Amino acid sequence: MADTAVRRPAGAAPALRIAPRTLRVLLGFCVLVAWEVLPRSGAIPTLFLPSLSDTLAALADGAPEYGRHLLFTLRAIAVSMAVACGLGIGAGLLIGSVARLRRIVQPLASGLYAVPLVILYPLFTAWFGIGPQSKIVFASLYGLLPCLLGTIAGVQTIDRQYLLVARSLRATRRQTVLRVLLPAAIPTVLTSLRIGGALVIVGVVVAEMLTSAEGIGYLITRSRTLLDSPRVFAGILLVVAMVFAFDGLVRLLDHRTRHWRLSTRSGDGGA
Amino acid sequence: MAGKATPLPEAPSPGAGAPGPSLRALPSRNGSIRVTGLEHTYAAAGRVTKALEDIRLDIAPGRFVVIVGPSGCGKSSLLMMLAGLVAPTAGRIVCGGRALTAPDPDLVGVVFQEASLYPWLTAQENVEFPLSLRRVPRAERTQRARDKLALVGLAGFEDRYPHELSGGMKQRVSIARGLVQNPPVLLLDEPFAALDEQTRISMGDELLRIWEQTGKTVVFVTHSLTEAAYLADQIVVMSARPGRIVDRVEVDLPRPRTYAMMGTPRFAELRQRIWEQIRSQADG
Ligand SMILES: Nc1ncnc2c1ncn2[C@@H]1O[C@H](COP(=O)(O)OP(=O)(O)O)[C@@H](O)[C@H]1O
Ligand SMILES: [Mg+2]
Repeated sequence: MADTAVRRPAGAAPALRIAPRTLRVLLGFCVLVAWEVLPRSGAIPTLFLPSLSDTLAALADGAPEYGRHLLFTLRAIAVSMAVACGLGIGAGLLIGSVARLRRIVQPLASGLYAVPLVILYPLFTAWFGIGPQSKIVFASLYGLLPCLLGTIAGVQTIDRQYLLVARSLRATRRQTVLRVLLPAAIPTVLTSLRIGGALVIVGVVVAEMLTSAEGIGYLITRSRTLLDSPRVFAGILLVVAMVFAFDGLVRLLDHRTRHWRLSTRSGDGGA
Repeated sequence: MAGKATPLPEAPSPGAGAPGPSLRALPSRNGSIRVTGLEHTYAAAGRVTKALEDIRLDIAPGRFVVIVGPSGCGKSSLLMMLAGLVAPTAGRIVCGGRALTAPDPDLVGVVFQEASLYPWLTAQENVEFPLSLRRVPRAERTQRARDKLALVGLAGFEDRYPHELSGGMKQRVSIARGLVQNPPVLLLDEPFAALDEQTRISMGDELLRIWEQTGKTVVFVTHSLTEAAYLADQIVVMSARPGRIVDRVEVDLPRPRTYAMMGTPRFAELRQRIWEQIRSQADG
């Protein structure tokens, strides 16, 4: 269709300038090459940085073990993510739309957000044991705050005209929240989801590194005490992969909601 | 304040022969609007602004009434009250024979100043939105929204998102949304203010065509004298601080209105009269 032809003018652009996408891939490739070459040539001791191939070999070698621990970590992340984002966004919508509630909760939540919650982790292990519960509670709380704060802020910045239209149509409170506030807040919510979700992953892995007998974080700590660098980096590689996968997911969501962003006034000039 | 029993002087509008209270209990609600002793005072941050004072309107069903006045004279406030979105400080609004105290989309459709479409919905979905709030079955919803989009000349644009439409098209969608529940009254608050001159004139023509086709009562707010004279059956001229009605002008230009009429002496006279009312109030 003509429409699709108009939307992809880049294909017809002169090939002289390198597309950002190509540059990105190239940069990633350079990092990987450096990772392989620097330790191998002896420029960096392999104890500090094992080569990429050694790391991958360690990963392949311990595949069943890594798989088991990865699953464990992923499960904790999934539960924490659901709690943090579900609760954070849900409560954020409610709190953001009730002015009195907002004035009470917002300063408290942003104050709490500034506290490095990891100092509370020993408490959590005392309360919930060293099993998955304490990790989940910790990571949920860690990710909840940015989701909550972001959603509250998102609701605040919603064009009041949207609400006026809903009111003129006699939308119920429930309809207003679900069909106007929620979609209108989506761009901000996604931003906070990105931060909150990343913090959930951090929270789970850090908790595993501190006190746990399972999970990728635990594997990293254990391998480090054994000075088994390739296995440490194999664990790190898995964490990075998880973060990238999560980011890709959010990006996908972001793309599916591009219409909102395109028509907000501030985003009008965007690509 | 204005006592209920105080007989109000008759409105100078000839077309506004409002039926007595006994005739009001008609099964299908008509688009008559009667406003008496309306006042509004905003109290914000310790400051009290008297936005409207002693507003009286008597609009017969099917009329095209334009409210014109300088910015800040309370036009939007008045329209918000006619839409049931703002409660008046004093006075009474009777619409379709019943006191209006809350928004009633079956009676009054509203088109807002800025394009107030939901950017996450397509044109079609935006027009369907009022119906879906009322749980109208999907098939009926689709059909009715399609019909309204066709009425405003947007057949074929159903799947476009607001950011893919021009300013004029967005306001067409807003009009379609305002009409989709088939209310007898349509309120518009400076709907074409953000459009360029040419689009604005052709949108005026479109609105007149829609009005003639549907027989709605239209209350149209603008600060443009030309737009007022071009569109209206009756022009209500307002003045600021506090906002009040200073003149009511019957527009006797024949219909259908044409662009050429803007050059006629009668048109100039009308504009002149409105302008003088506004100016004398501003000076005094
Ligand atoms: N929400 C509000 N709070 C306080 N003052 C208001 C509010 N809305 C409007 N006003 C004041 O009331 C007057 C009329 O405003 P408005 O109805 O928007 O006028 P118009 O639409 O004719 O420009 C203005 O002086 C404006 O400052
Ligand atoms: Mg206004």
